Amino acid sequence: MWTRKAVFYVGFGVILVLFAPFINNLQLFLLGTTILGFVAIHSLVNTRPIEVKITRDFADDQVFENSGVSVDLVIQNKGRPVGFLEIYDNLPSEMEVSKGLNHTIIRLRKDELVINKYSLECRLRGQYRLGNPRLRIYNPSFLFYYEADVESKSSLVVLPQIEQIEGVDMSTDFPKMYQGAMPIRRIGTSGEFYGIREYFPGDDFKNINWRVFGRTRKLMVNQFEREDISDIMLVLDAREITGTGTVLRNPLNYSCRAVASLVSFFLRARNRVGLITYGETVNVIPPDTGERHLYRILTALAEVKPAGSLGLHTILGDLRNFTPRSPVMVVSTLESDPTSTIALREITAREFKLTVIAPDTLDYDKESAIISPTVYFTASASLDNKISEARSLGARAMRWNPDNVLSTSLAEVTR
Amino acid sequence: MMNTNNSLAFMQGVATFSLLSCLGLAYVINPIDESLFFQATDNFVSAIYGKDVLSELNNSVVAGMLLGLFIGTVYVFLGMNKKVYNYTTLSLFVIVLFIFFASIMGYDQVPYVFTQQLFLSAWIGLPVSLGIVGIWEKSIGNQVLSAFLILVMPLGLSGSTNDQIYPILGFVFSFMLYLELSYGHVRYSRLARIMHYSREYEVVLQWFLSTLIITLGLTTALTSLAFLFHNFLGDFLPYSFSNSIEYNTIYGQALSVLVFFILWAIIQTLFSRGYLARQVED
Repeated sequence: MWTRKAVFYVGFGVILVLFAPFINNLQLFLLGTTILGFVAIHSLVNTRPIEVKITRDFADDQVFENSGVSVDLVIQNKGRPVGFLEIYDNLPSEMEVSKGLNHTIIRLRKDELVINKYSLECRLRGQYRLGNPRLRIYNPSFLFYYEADVESKSSLVVLPQIEQIEGVDMSTDFPKMYQGAMPIRRIGTSGEFYGIREYFPGDDFKNINWRVFGRTRKLMVNQFEREDISDIMLVLDAREITGTGTVLRNPLNYSCRAVASLVSFFLRARNRVGLITYGETVNVIPPDTGERHLYRILTALAEVKPAGSLGLHTILGDLRNFTPRSPVMVVSTLESDPTSTIALREITAREFKLTVIAPDTLDYDKESAIISPTVYFTASASLDNKISEARSLGARAMRWNPDNVLSTSLAEVTR
Repeated sequence: MMNTNNSLAFMQGVATFSLLSCLGLAYVINPIDESLFFQATDNFVSAIYGKDVLSELNNSVVAGMLLGLFIGTVYVFLGMNKKVYNYTTLSLFVIVLFIFFASIMGYDQVPYVFTQQLFLSAWIGLPVSLGIVGIWEKSIGNQVLSAFLILVMPLGLSGSTNDQIYPILGFVFSFMLYLELSYGHVRYSRLARIMHYSREYEVVLQWFLSTLIITLGLTTALTSLAFLFHNFLGDFLPYSFSNSIEYNTIYGQALSVLVFFILWAIIQTLFSRGYLARQVED
């Protein structure tokens, strides 16, 4: 490609060569010829095709939101020497270069290998494709340039950020076959105190409450809660409306973080956790346990995009096979969903222990002028109504301001 | 090995020197008293004041260039401080106004010849002052205007011939050096800032400087070849054409040069490759 400078040089050179004879001026004639000659010579400098090998190395191809990843862009020259090579590694707009540059200008000798290091700040969950790098070759005097994309793509998964949750009681009333770490309101052998009763022959001596004996002269034994594995189903609202707000601050992103934190918490306690997402379609990940299952859910959460307008009632069919009386946690704003009331009633009618977490970004949206004060008041009142409705059905429901710690907010409703 | 800043400063220094040298050589090739521009100025000033004010033009060239150098440098230094720049511009404007009104009202305390000579020198030095601002303040507009004035201001109708070949070659070389280094400096310094003056970038800059010298040498060779092509073409053209008066003057030479470069472009297009860069696997 010709640059504007080259076009100007050629035009000016031709004008000088044609004009100089009219005033018999050898100086201008020679200058015109030299300018044309200069362009002609430069059309041969650093303009021939190049052959390069460009690869990308990551420290880790799975990272969590708001963490960094260092990238090594390895450029290896396999062809002729290159004087001026500009390389721009294409990055998704959600990623920010925190250290170094994804743009470099280098000189490459024959068979030379250059590594361009830079670090990325991954601020938003998602599955990203990095590349292809764009190459631009300039000749030294900026008369010609050539651009090309080189095939070199890499994928990077940014998992939603996990918040440490502690002391949240999501206990179920329904005992399972295998004992686990989730306390249920039944007598068992965990460390959690349940109550005291009279001593009967055969009771373990170590359970005798000697303090009560000292006071009442009656042998009493301590009873402990039974710990059990619980099946927990998390329901994530991924409708188009949940993407309202900014790219970083919208209900869906906060919902994904909340779900990721809860999944991690429950799986750490050796429970079985499932996930249902609804929006454009309904996707179900059946309850399971273990580290691999955690990454399966986190990867699914990374891929969730706000789309569609399916109502909450669309998940009822998938809940039918779920263990009765188990906890079901719905993470949704319930906004613009006419089916939500019926669906919540249906869930509680099936005796699932329902918790509703409604991420509330309305304040931020109002302050950032994304929504008008009128819309704010309407939406806020509507959300309050939905929460009251859920509570009236016996559910634990809360408006969660994402600026607050999730476990603190959860503790308030699970008290 | 120089660092990036030194290389860029070197480019600016050489560009400034080339600017002075090409303007000086332009006046060596074209005597100032034959310059159409200065003849027009002379006529204009004479018509207003009724006096022949540009009588000693040839002696003014060096003084004009020095004044231009001074004005340009002062401007660059003033550009470092906005306040000082504003006050200085205002003062200069007021002084010029005073001189103008004093002249109209017949109050001639400042020697008339001196102010006119100063005015003339400022005109002569204008390409230098503009060029210096262009080089040191990275303004491409100023560079283009200065290059244009260098070509146009000394231009007369007497023309130039082979007798002046050495000053002409010197002019062409320094003019090209001025254009390339001043423009190159603007582009490379902008990129240097983006690249944080890295060592890798310094290598690119060194490559530019060395390639510029080599390509200027090769350009001289190609220009000579383009001139020789005129004789070569003459052997192929019909006798009546190659021996015509038109063909054997500068007009014919101009046509031969254009034919030469057209052929160059055609050959290069034919041999150019369809792709630029490709990913290679091991």
